[in-house]
Amino acid sequence: MEEIAIKVENLTVCYKSLKPYSIKKNFLRLHRNKKDIFEALHGVSFEVPKGQILGIIGKNGSGKSTLLRALAGIFSADEGKIDRFGNTISLLAIGVGFQKELSGRENIILSGMLLGFSETEIIEKMPDIIKFAGLGKFIDMPVRTYSSGMYSKLAFSITAVLETDIILIDEVLSVGDQRFKKKSYRKMKELINNEERTVIIVSHSIGTLRKLCQKVMWLEGGEIMMLGDAGEVLDKYQAYMDSET
Amino acid sequence: MKRFVSDMKKYYKYAKYSAKAELKSEVAGSYLNWIWWVLEPVCLMLIYAFIFGFVFEAREKYFTAFIYIGLTLWTFFNLNIKSSVKMIKRNRAIIGKVYLPKFILIESKIFENLFKMMISFGIVLVLLIYYKIPLTWNVLYIIPLMICLIVLTFGFMTLLMHFGVFVEDLGNVVNIGMRLVFYLTGIMFSIETRIGRENPQLALILGKFNPMAFLITSFRDCLLYGKTPEIIGILIWLAIGTVLSVLGIYIIYKNENNYVKVI
Repeated sequence: MEEIAIKVENLTVCYKSLKPYSIKKNFLRLHRNKKDIFEALHGVSFEVPKGQILGIIGKNGSGKSTLLRALAGIFSADEGKIDRFGNTISLLAIGVGFQKELSGRENIILSGMLLGFSETEIIEKMPDIIKFAGLGKFIDMPVRTYSSGMYSKLAFSITAVLETDIILIDEVLSVGDQRFKKKSYRKMKELINNEERTVIIVSHSIGTLRKLCQKVMWLEGGEIMMLGDAGEVLDKYQAYMDSET
Repeated sequence: MKRFVSDMKKYYKYAKYSAKAELKSEVAGSYLNWIWWVLEPVCLMLIYAFIFGFVFEAREKYFTAFIYIGLTLWTFFNLNIKSSVKMIKRNRAIIGKVYLPKFILIESKIFENLFKMMISFGIVLVLLIYYKIPLTWNVLYIIPLMICLIVLTFGFMTLLMHFGVFVEDLGNVVNIGMRLVFYLTGIMFSIETRIGRENPQLALILGKFNPMAFLITSFRDCLLYGKTPEIIGILIWLAIGTVLSVLGIYIIYKNENNYVKVI
């Protein structure tokens, strides 16, 4: 019996009339306009065993990023529940919140602390992160001087080296130059071989998912269209995408 | 409540570090760097001393110290309150990426402004020595007063942060409100002597129902004039601050995961 790392039951996430309103608008309009509810995810249930690499694929707006954010605990579920069994979790997305005026080194500590690591733990792993990011002398320069590639490289390195139990990756493997891409692939492979880590990847790249994942989930309009072995699902998805054009 | 304590413990270090980072990035790249932390309050103090001492011929005792205490406390309160309205929007990048109890952002801001306030209090100390103001044991009252100020500020901030997410123009309202409170607080003058002579009732109301006026008067009493501040007043405002904070934390916990969907 394998251990479950994440269990999602009947998850529904809505974006409803939560638009910010201004006082002026409220004065001018006596009756509230009716709520427009948009269900980004509807009744999604699945489980991910420990150590598995799960890929998520789907069209734009099919709810992939919403699902990841819900898993990371950033969004609350409107219905259903997510059980993380006490695993630590981190979401890796492009364009993270660095303090632009501070050096890369200080931002590593800041981001690490946000992920729930202590300062000493981070300082211990600092050399690994810096080496992995490969930014050279830029690591001591303010982050605002970084190019967008360097920015993403640093972000990826922090999450990759400071391993949480569950790692969520949102469209980030395509960052950086060829060499960094190779390096991050290797790191991903390493994570696959590591029985302890559970990884969930969102990507549009069928090739990437085919190479990295064991299982793939195909999301369509906020619902699971298919969930199964990577090859099988990706073939179907490919056929579906081709047929639509 | 339990969750609040455990979250506080878990993220306390982060709040401190991020406050430090914020302070550093504020002066990073400027020529005089951290000297600005001291220079800015000193210059402000000189400006106010000049305007109100010479131009308006203020007659309060130990005038410069009098104004400066008021100004120091007000700046702390003002900066915190104003920043709380846009707190969530400004930190969108962080909030969209990891879960963070949102009041930690407030805590971090308070740390940041507390540090600035401590520097200002250093200047107050210099002024006390300069005026050769006799210190009494009443000085120790600044500790409960300080706690009261922080708890009250925190309470107001939690509520403003929450509503700031949903009400876009709350910032404008707060700006006007704060300006009004600024003049009603008696930072440049003493409410008791200026308004109190002709309108004792009004002065009493202004002094008692405005927490900042009460706190600033108390600080001045115990630092400058060696008087004991009203202990009941401190307790009442501390209680109000605690109620506001608990309410604010409760609301934030209930809604915080919806903030991301709005911004």
